[in-house]
This record gives sequence, structure tokens and C-alpha cells, in this order.
Amino acid sequence: MLEVTDLHVSYGPISALRGVSLRVEEGGLVAVVGPNGAGKSTLLWSIAGDLKPAVGEIAFAGDSILGRRPEDIVRLGIALVPEARHVFSSLTVRENLRLGMTVRRDRRAAAADLRDLEERFPVLAEMRSRPAGTLSGGQQQQLVIARALLCRPRLLVLDEPSLGLDPHNVTIVFETLKSLQAAGTTVLLVEQNAAQSIEMADRAYVIRNGLIEMEGDGAKLLDDERFAEMYLGAGAVAR
Amino acid sequence: MIQHVFDAASLGALYAVMALGVALVFGVMRLMNFAYGALIMIGGSLLRAPGGAPWPVYVLLSIFGVCLAALAMERIAFRPLRGADASTLLVTSFALVIGLEALASILLGSRAKSVNILPSLSGSVGLLGSSIAWIDIATIVCAVALMVAFSAFLRFSPLGMQVRAASEDFRMARLLGVRANRVIAAAFAASGVFAGTAAVLLVAQTGTLTPSMGLTPVLIAFVATVIGGMGSLYGAALGGAVLGILSVALPAALPVGAQPYRNAMIFTIVILILLVRPQGLVGNAISGERI
Repeated sequence: MLEVTDLHVSYGPISALRGVSLRVEEGGLVAVVGPNGAGKSTLLWSIAGDLKPAVGEIAFAGDSILGRRPEDIVRLGIALVPEARHVFSSLTVRENLRLGMTVRRDRRAAAADLRDLEERFPVLAEMRSRPAGTLSGGQQQQLVIARALLCRPRLLVLDEPSLGLDPHNVTIVFETLKSLQAAGTTVLLVEQNAAQSIEMADRAYVIRNGLIEMEGDGAKLLDDERFAEMYLGAGAVAR
Repeated sequence: MIQHVFDAASLGALYAVMALGVALVFGVMRLMNFAYGALIMIGGSLLRAPGGAPWPVYVLLSIFGVCLAALAMERIAFRPLRGADASTLLVTSFALVIGLEALASILLGSRAKSVNILPSLSGSVGLLGSSIAWIDIATIVCAVALMVAFSAFLRFSPLGMQVRAASEDFRMARLLGVRANRVIAAAFAASGVFAGTAAVLLVAQTGTLTPSMGLTPVLIAFVATVIGGMGSLYGAALGGAVLGILSVALPAALPVGAQPYRNAMIFTIVILILLVRPQGLVGNAISGERI
């Protein structure tokens, strides 16, 4: 469904990505893990059309999406949930959700999706008239995931959805991702919470200094000693 | 006293209209568009268009013409520079205002022209022993009606909601499918409606038209936007109202000997406001990046 080939992205003289390639198959969940500054977010913003790669190719459903604008890419079916949530804090919860329906032409189906999502995330229905900025971090995370789902994406891209959340809300987020995966939504997930995300993933990539260092099936990667040493600590290797 | 209240409300309402036009474009583009002054000048000039039509035609021509001019300004001058740094856009806005004022001087002459667009509003009405100018009442009614209509547009229309979202976080709005060109064009068009309305009210109040007539209003609008809080539309309207009220209240309260220092005192109060609330009266931290 998504194929990134030899992607190079720079911020002035600094190379953030230096030849990254990855594939996301339809219906799969792919995790990208790596330390801070590895280039994970740059990869996602490039896929969403916000950053212009210097070299490389990004193809979605067989067609190149390189050079397309973000508002066109979401219409093709890629929705990004960026890090730090990015709710429109002065707009109400309901208005935030309605913005997720901007790309929808099927108004009735979109309204039905909105009702379904408010059932799945009851707190959003309870707080629909409140400014989104007054929600807690966990509630805001639910809001931005629901808002992205209202775009009815073929590929949902999430950047650090568990960042800054308490354990209870982390569980809600990961359970939501599992149910989305079970429902057939294709997911590309970037996380520092490496173990939990790789455990869910069909395929995982480890990125460091703008390069893919390791890749493989989620379960196999978790058993890989080199990966365990890098991301789960020496204790995990001993285990 | 009542007369002062009406004067203050009238000037505050006019300044609020001016400030909203500047704040709208700043909200979506992070551009302080000094060419807004040129739009006001174009609006004033259109009131002198030949033809001898009734005054409502001239008023509509002025507002509609400025709206088109604002759209043309965005399409021709600013869209090709989308993504350029802030100083480039600022210099472009200065170039536009200088160029358009020069053009107006060539076409219309540099001397002030007399325009009597709304003669029926030159009188006044008595109220509790005070004399209230009809133009003050008309200014308050027009400004309030425009702000209510604009507020309804922002609150209830999909495009208005997109403009509000884009003002807060343009990058995220685009990721949700909000079309950048559409929202920016809408902001410029609405800014044009505010500039056209301000032009009509200014010319109706002063009865004169000069190529540089937009200079003072754009500076007032800029200061009002800063007082209100950069990035907040409601803040800009409030900042304009505060500035207008101060401009009327101070001269009324000051002794004759202190009158020459009126503007210095107004801007001292502005500085004090900003010292207490650096983020403006409606503290809305600017989020998102300029696009």
C-alpha cells in the first residue's frame, strides 16, 4: 500500500533521513522505533506531504505522492496524527471532529461515523461543547485519533501516540490501535515505546541517525539480542 | 457626556473594523499586511467613481472592489512568495503600499479631494440634551452589524471553522484536508470587506480622500492587533475598541495644557498594557508555523 524508497530529507545542512526505505502492506500494522532525533517524525511528515524530500520516492497504492500537497494526500487516504496532539484548542471538541470530516463527500456516512466514534470514545461525546484545549492529555489523544479516523483513511499514520500519557491512557490508545488493526485499518506507527508497539506490529523498522538499522517481523525483532540490547536494556538480553 | 460615549463607541467600532481586517490575514499567514492601508485607499477612491449613481451603489462598489483588490493582491503578490520568510513578505507589503499610493497619486492627483458620499448623515440628533452625529450612529450600527455577521460566518459556516482552525494551526489544518489557497483567499476577501467598510466610514466621517489616507488606519490597526493579542480575532476587535475609546476619553479628560501630549499618553497606556499582558488582552499564544 505504501512504499518509501531511498528517502533523503535535509534541514539545511543537516541530513535527517539518509536513504530510508520501508513498505507497509494493506491491512498491516508497521512500527518504526528509534531514539529521539533518529528521523522518525521527519519520515512521517514527508509521507504526509509537509516536507519535501531531496531524493527518493514515496508511492501510495501504486502512485507517486511525492510533491503533492498535504490537503491532497489526506484526500488520497493517508491521515497523520502528529506528535504533541495538535488539537485546535479554541475550537470545541465537536468542531475539531467536524474538521476531520473536511475531506468527506458522503455526508450521511460521515455523520454515522461521527456517532460511532463518539460511542467508542464516550468522553468526546460528553465534552463535545467544551474547547478542546481544556481536555486532559489522554482525552486530547483520543480526540486526535478520532478526528483522523473521520477522514476515513486507508492508511492511519501515528507519531508517538502514547507520549506524555499516564499508563491508563496508554492502554486506551494501544487498545484502540489493536481494534483498528483488527477492523482492517492499515497503520503506520512511530513510537519510543518500542516493546509495546513492536509486539503489536506485523513488521517493524529500527531507525537511527536517519538510517534504517534493523527491520523484520515484530515478534522476531523482539527476540533479536541486538535489538533487545539497543532498546530494551541489558536486563532484557539476560532474560 | 453622552456625546463622548457615542464618539468613543463610534471610533472604537471603526478601529475594531480596521483591526479585524489586519488580524485575519495575520492569523492565517502570520503576515502583518501593511498593504491593508492601500486597500482602504482603493476603497476611498472607488467612492469617487464617475457615473452619478445613488450612494448605495458607490458603497457596494467600494466594498466589492476592495474585496476583489485584496484577492488580486493575494494571488499576484503573496501567493508566489508562500513559504518565504517573514521579512520577505513584510517588504512585499511595504512595496505594495508604496506602489499603489504612487499609482493613486498619478491617477487621481496627490492633493486631498473632497467627497460627500453620505450627505444625509452630516446632521445630528438630540439625545438627553446632547447632540449625537448621525455618522457616529451609522458607524456604530455598520461596525456592529459587520462584526456580528463575521462572527456568525466564523462560528457557523464550514469555511469559517476552517479559517479559525487555520489561524490556530495551519499545518494541522492542511493535514485534515483544509485547502490552504481557499482559506487564505477567504481571509484576504474578508479583509477586503473590512477595508472597504472602513474606507466608506472614514470618507463619510472626514469627507476627504488622499492617496495616503490608509497610512494612519493601518498603523492603528497594527497597534490594536498587538494590544488585543496577535493571532486572536476577538482580541483585535477588543484592541481596536480600547484604542478608540482611549482616543476619545483622554482628550475629554485632559486639561487643555496637556492636550498636545494626547497621543504620547495613549501610546504610554498601550505600553503599560503590554507590560502587564505581553501576550495582549486576549492572550492567545501564537501557535503553528507561518506558511
